[in-house]
Amino acid sequence: MEHSLIVRRGEEIVFTSNEHWLHPLFELEDYLKGKNIPPSELFVRDKIAGKAAACLMVRLGVTRCRVELLSERAIPVFRAHGVEFSYGELVEHIQCRTEDLITDAMSIDDAYLFLRKRAGRVQGLPVKIENLTVDIGRKSILEDLSLELGRGEQLVIHGANGTGKTTLLRTLLGFIQPVQGTIRIGDINVGSNEWRQNRSLVGYVHQENVKNTFPISAEEVAAIGLSERKLSSKEIAYRVEVAMRRTGCFHLARQSYHSLSGGEKQRISLARCLCQNARVLLFDEPTSFLDSSGKEDLLELLNELSSTEAPTMILVSHETAWLDQLNWPRKELKGGRLC
Amino acid sequence: MLEMLSLAPILKGLLVLTFAGFTFPVTGVYLLRMNLLPLRFMLMHGAILGGAIALAMQYNPFWTTMLVNLLMVLLMTKTSRSMQVDTGQISMFMMVISISLAFIFIYKFNVPAQDTLSLLWGSLFALSWHEVIGVLAFSGLLLAFQFRYRRKLRAVFFDREIAFSSGVNEGRLYYAIILLTAITVAAAMKLIGALLLDALLLLPALIASLHAKSLRGVIIWSCLWGGIFSLSGFFLSLAIDIPASSGVALMASVVFLIIYVNHKRFKS
Repeated sequence: MEHSLIVRRGEEIVFTSNEHWLHPLFELEDYLKGKNIPPSELFVRDKIAGKAAACLMVRLGVTRCRVELLSERAIPVFRAHGVEFSYGELVEHIQCRTEDLITDAMSIDDAYLFLRKRAGRVQGLPVKIENLTVDIGRKSILEDLSLELGRGEQLVIHGANGTGKTTLLRTLLGFIQPVQGTIRIGDINVGSNEWRQNRSLVGYVHQENVKNTFPISAEEVAAIGLSERKLSSKEIAYRVEVAMRRTGCFHLARQSYHSLSGGEKQRISLARCLCQNARVLLFDEPTSFLDSSGKEDLLELLNELSSTEAPTMILVSHETAWLDQLNWPRKELKGGRLC
Repeated sequence: MLEMLSLAPILKGLLVLTFAGFTFPVTGVYLLRMNLLPLRFMLMHGAILGGAIALAMQYNPFWTTMLVNLLMVLLMTKTSRSMQVDTGQISMFMMVISISLAFIFIYKFNVPAQDTLSLLWGSLFALSWHEVIGVLAFSGLLLAFQFRYRRKLRAVFFDREIAFSSGVNEGRLYYAIILLTAITVAAAMKLIGALLLDALLLLPALIASLHAKSLRGVIIWSCLWGGIFSLSGFFLSLAIDIPASSGVALMASVVFLIIYVNHKRFKS
């Protein structure tokens, strides 16, 4: 059987796939992650490619390809990004719904994230909150609050101090029992027995103002995300290294966590959540103790995370200038409800 | 000096002090990190109550003290969790109640108060073989616990909320930590006395936390320092004829001072 995708490096075939749709290109992405091969050295031969495949190839860094059946809509994408291409047959468009959904207004990164979500390759889980009411003491903090977030979506919740932003996150984490209402993370109800077994699906990044200064190294903090996994020490070390490299903090691994700057600590926290394989990330005022460069670092990390692993992310903050740069959808928490 | 080791009480003392020295500081790390110092004082009062009961009822003081302390700790953690009250406050209440109960036993059963209070001084060379085996077994259990749960403990020590969100059952682990700490403190009281048990438990952990950069380092160094202090303190006591507990405390204090001063100098 002829492969749907063949990738050569020089004369050598380094990758093949028989899958359909865009899956071969996602498989190629996985393959390249584990190898140290510059994508510019590859020659990709695809059976059919439309605009979606073109966007994916560009995102992967492919610079040369041959497509047997090419959609005219792919050509501007290839040309705009300097991809050398040839084709067997050119058609006006290919019969694929995805082709119609990629609009001209989408950047390559937007299209990539959209395609990942469509391929079920985002890490995020849907979050559904229904009629949530939470009391602290005798005071009602959240009242009949509802919220729905899709896989890999992001949301900023802002509002004045004391409106219940942190309470909402703590309820999502299961620290606080609601008076009424339900929270579903994926198919699991928060507070159920199943949730107790899967609590690590939700990662938590707080303000990084851990008050104790008891010695702990940066890599030990990152490894906390693997506390519940039955893995060998070697496997843990490997996963921690991957996560720390991913968030650009592996060079800090052996340093005392408490000697790090706020921005570095946030990188370690994100590495911890990546180790944990958290599929929903909750950020509680993550910029509170960061200087301007720490805030820029965090912004860069969040943008990268949302376009790659794409966990579902909820961030609570009142720092409007920084939130403007983040450019995520926003809701305000007011009077115990989101508006 | 070495010929003294041929005497069974001395040999038993050395054996127990060596094992305890290399393992008990693990709970010193728990005490420091989990801020359980009020617990340590509560257990001292529990030791007096245990001693009073043992002397009044003619039970074995070691095991009675251990049992009383365990019951007090269970009661304290249960109350603290169910009523959401700080463990420090419950500890203080338990201190008061235990000392008053102890004096009721002393008064009603005509127990010589001096004998009860002598428990606070320790009696390393008066251990029975059962007690020696008990301490050795507990040392092994302590190390096994630390090794088996090292990853979860690390999470709890860092931040209990982060540990919870990482999937760690931090509540159950907290109970286990408190129980082990209670047994260690009760055993250490018997070995070197309540007043000097800090030398065996807290000072090694404190010194290690001054120079180690990782939690793993703190645990390993605490055990090493504890072992070094125990052995050197023991032989110092034989050499210059002072109580073994004072020898251990002296060695630990000297090293602590040296490292503390160096640490301060390095930081400034």
